[in-house]
Amino acid sequence: MADKLFYFLTFLALLSALMVVFSRNPIHSVLYLILTFFTLSGHYVLLNAQFIAAVNIIVYAGAIMVLFLFVVMFLNLRSETQEKTSILSKVASVTAAGLLMVVLVAALKDVNLGTVQATPDFDSQVGMVEQLGKVLFSKFLLPFELASVLFLAAMVGAVMLGRREPGEQNTF
Amino acid sequence: MLAISALSVFGIIVLFLGFSNNKSALMLAAMLSLLATFGLALYEWQHPEITPAVAAGMMSFDNLSILFTAVLLVTGILLLPLSERFLVDPKAQPAEYYAILLFSMVGAIMMVTFDNLIMLFLGLEILSISLYVLTGSDKRNLLANEAALKYFLMGAFATGVLLYGVAMLYGAAGSFSLSDIALYVQDNHDNLSPMLYIGLFMMLVGMLFKLSVAPFHWWTADVYTGAPNFFTAYMSTIVKTAGFAALYKILSVSFVGVYDYWFLMLAICAVLTLCIGNLTATAQQSFKRMMAYSGVSHAGYMLIAVASFSDKTPEAIFFYSLAYSIATITAFAALMRVADTKGSADFAAFYGLAKTNPFLSFALTVSMLSLAGIPLTAGFMGKLFVFMSALEQGHVALVVAAVLMSAVGVYYYLRVVIAMYMREGNGVAVTLSPRFRVVLIATTVLTILLGVVPSLVAGAL
Repeated sequence: MADKLFYFLTFLALLSALMVVFSRNPIHSVLYLILTFFTLSGHYVLLNAQFIAAVNIIVYAGAIMVLFLFVVMFLNLRSETQEKTSILSKVASVTAAGLLMVVLVAALKDVNLGTVQATPDFDSQVGMVEQLGKVLFSKFLLPFELASVLFLAAMVGAVMLGRREPGEQNTF
Repeated sequence: MLAISALSVFGIIVLFLGFSNNKSALMLAAMLSLLATFGLALYEWQHPEITPAVAAGMMSFDNLSILFTAVLLVTGILLLPLSERFLVDPKAQPAEYYAILLFSMVGAIMMVTFDNLIMLFLGLEILSISLYVLTGSDKRNLLANEAALKYFLMGAFATGVLLYGVAMLYGAAGSFSLSDIALYVQDNHDNLSPMLYIGLFMMLVGMLFKLSVAPFHWWTADVYTGAPNFFTAYMSTIVKTAGFAALYKILSVSFVGVYDYWFLMLAICAVLTLCIGNLTATAQQSFKRMMAYSGVSHAGYMLIAVASFSDKTPEAIFFYSLAYSIATITAFAALMRVADTKGSADFAAFYGLAKTNPFLSFALTVSMLSLAGIPLTAGFMGKLFVFMSALEQGHVALVVAAVLMSAVGVYYYLRVVIAMYMREGNGVAVTLSPRFRVVLIATTVLTILLGVVPSLVAGAL
């Protein structure tokens, strides 16, 4: 049952990810991206990472995608206004990306990840918030704390760049 | 560890000092923060037991990390007085600039002390995000806006590639810890998972991208040219030092067992970087753009030291990054004054500088000679250390390529000297404030001193 679900989710994830790239309309791209995030959350549940699955939906499919949609609608992007790229650069990028894919597939097709045996001491709660919190506040305490410096720098930067300068007109 | 905690707090203090109207107190506070952090970093020298238990397995302050931390902080201390224009410019926001500068320094120090790939990623992101913001800090300048956007998009993409690599490494080794990955490589030497190779490859691509190593250097010239002069100087020195220290740390701790695999990649990139960086620099008409390509070419020399991987390598990277940083600070100090006075960063702006300001011309000449690698300067000793570490492992071809390309380097560095001494200028005098004078004296003396007696710092390891 689980492996059938895995293949179904993977198929859906790949399909929607491809549609993100191939859609002409940016709004459709964003909507397909939301679908991709939902299928990825399904994968997290299969991997017994329930908390990550929930957070992925809330943060990515919720907050960040709304921001995406807002910006796309705000800028009023049209498919006709797409920039023309030359044939040469199209061929070059397709060749480069294709070669990378061939190399990755060739290298990774023989990877044997082994199988997980169900042992009696298996803890089904390993992906829940309680377990995660314990690890976050013991083993990974230092990176957790230092991540605050990252957010502080980003916030200061955002305020600095977004602040209206003296004499600037409100154009909206 | 003390250094990082202190610097984070200092950053917040400087941010709040922005409420006061006294702007020169801001620079003083930032300067004192860096000096205090420098003292704290040296305090941990030979005393790894100070590091608290919370840092166990996450970061380590061995002597090599402290040396690189010291290079970063010395660079910051020497650069800071050059930012005096922000104190009088009504559009500048010095409190935010200095706070972000201090935060980015936290990231840079994390990149030289990490023991865990999570810490590397966090440090790299703190440094990168701060630099994206600082690149675009001149909001009214279209070139700076373009540079910031380009840097942000390219950098975010490179971070993505790096993270993909880290995920692959985790898949292979089952841990983010450098020593655990080393253990995995050692134990399964004949049967390594292909994921390890792909992961290492992706991670190297991400790192080399941030270090502006060819063929991942396309963003460098535009970003370095578009950013405000002071922040260009900051990023071309700090990122190189922190990045190469991080690169060396990963490879020397975790991937000694697969040396054959990464040597070829780094060697090809090094030669490519040297050729592209040096040859493109000769064609530039703008001093600032020439310095951008010069930064690319110096990444090539440091990459040779990493790729050769002998017991002299750490010393070579340390000395080279110190010599390069000091000479680059001088060059950008001169550029800032000339560009502010004459409104142009082209070579033509330097015409006749020797007549109007002999001291500045002399300092810039010493810096150019050091970057070109002429004897009696720090740059020469740096190159010597790099070549010796490569020759020890018998990589003669790499050294030959590097020597040939440094001969090309002499051409474009001397163009600046010729412009200053042998061309007629328009007679507009370039003046120096006391702060600039002190920094230029310090960097010039250091460049010559390290070139004559390199054992002052080279024997520290």
